Amino acid sequence: MLATLPEEIEANLIEMSRQGDRSAFGQLVSQYQRGVVNVVYRMCSDVTLAEDAAQEAFLRAWMHLDSFRPGTSLRNWLYRIAVNAALDHLRRERETPADLETVRVADQANGPEAELLQRERSARVQRAILSLSAPNRAVLVLREYCQLSYQEIAASLDIPIGTVMSRLNYARKCLRTLLENDL
Amino acid sequence: MTEHASEWLNAYLDGELGGLRQRQVEQHLERCAACRAELEALRGLSALLRETPPAAEFTPTGRFVTNLMLSLPRHPDASQPRKAASLGWWLAPAGLLGAWFFLRTVLTLTGVFTAADATGLLKQANAWFTGGQPTGVFTAADATGLLKQANAWFTGGQPQAAWFVAITSLFGSQMSAAQQSTLSLFNQVSVFGGDLFSGFLWQAAIVLLYWVWLAAWWFRHAPRPMKIIF
Repeated sequence: MLATLPEEIEANLIEMSRQGDRSAFGQLVSQYQRGVVNVVYRMCSDVTLAEDAAQEAFLRAWMHLDSFRPGTSLRNWLYRIAVNAALDHLRRERETPADLETVRVADQANGPEAELLQRERSARVQRAILSLSAPNRAVLVLREYCQLSYQEIAASLDIPIGTVMSRLNYARKCLRTLLENDL
Repeated sequence: MTEHASEWLNAYLDGELGGLRQRQVEQHLERCAACRAELEALRGLSALLRETPPAAEFTPTGRFVTNLMLSLPRHPDASQPRKAASLGWWLAPAGLLGAWFFLRTVLTLTGVFTAADATGLLKQANAWFTGGQPTGVFTAADATGLLKQANAWFTGGQPQAAWFVAITSLFGSQMSAAQQSTLSLFNQVSVFGGDLFSGFLWQAAIVLLYWVWLAAWWFRHAPRPMKIIF
């Protein structure tokens, strides 16, 4: 994980990117690529799809840098675009995200036992998230992995705050049941 | 608050409660072991979700960035259609100003010819134009049609207001020289006032159109929130 960029440097890179500086935009991508891919992966559970959607999210960000408001969080903005891109991908794939059986859980022959257990737990967590409906999953991902406020989630998904709260309550209730043994 | 605070625990955990509701939940948690346990379970779930790494291996950052850079399109600001559209937006008020200057120039030149007529200069110019070989500025004026209008003004006399024409045609023969002179003065004031009002209207229209253009420009470039719609 790269160290967080100081605000001033990030603001400069954004301004340079706005003027068409690809190298500056590349530095911003390097900074947020892992987080964005991770967020999209939580939405669709498919590595290829997640990376495609993340790439699309960065392309959208590049094309719409003018609409980014200075002084707000670039990270949150990118995450919102990424979740948007992931939902688009899911719609194109008719809401059939990858079967987790196809996800490489672990290299069981070579990995140590601890790593194997960790990977199995990761697969269970991802499977539980995947069992949620897309609207509930989007709210959960924006809250848990993007750390957006309820207000920001409501604005991103164009839903009332009350709906954000009820979806989050429901999603967490389901996950507590599904992941009971890991808690 | 009901027997348990379950419905508020998620918002409490996320720091989304405030004021009275937060104090009520805190007071409830102090005396309710079940809700404290539920809150801890929610906290544990959040930690599990955030701390568990994804069960997948992603493309290394360096390679991802390289691939992205290769597929990065030209920046929209540098793209030709947008640049052309932007140029059009900037040319619109410039064109409007050009049209305004042209009209003002025509009106001013007309005024100059009228004044020249009043001082007798145009008589000589008219003679040159109709009788001899037109040269210099008169050739240009003739090409734009200005001289013809000036000539017509010269032969037709001073510009007259409609009311002045009506009064002189009805009562002109009964008026004394002093009355005609006063009426003529009022006619000139009326014509001058009309020109002034016309000029003011033009400038007001230009200002109004410029404001409309600025509003349209702002509307096109105002940042809009990006929304995710299911």
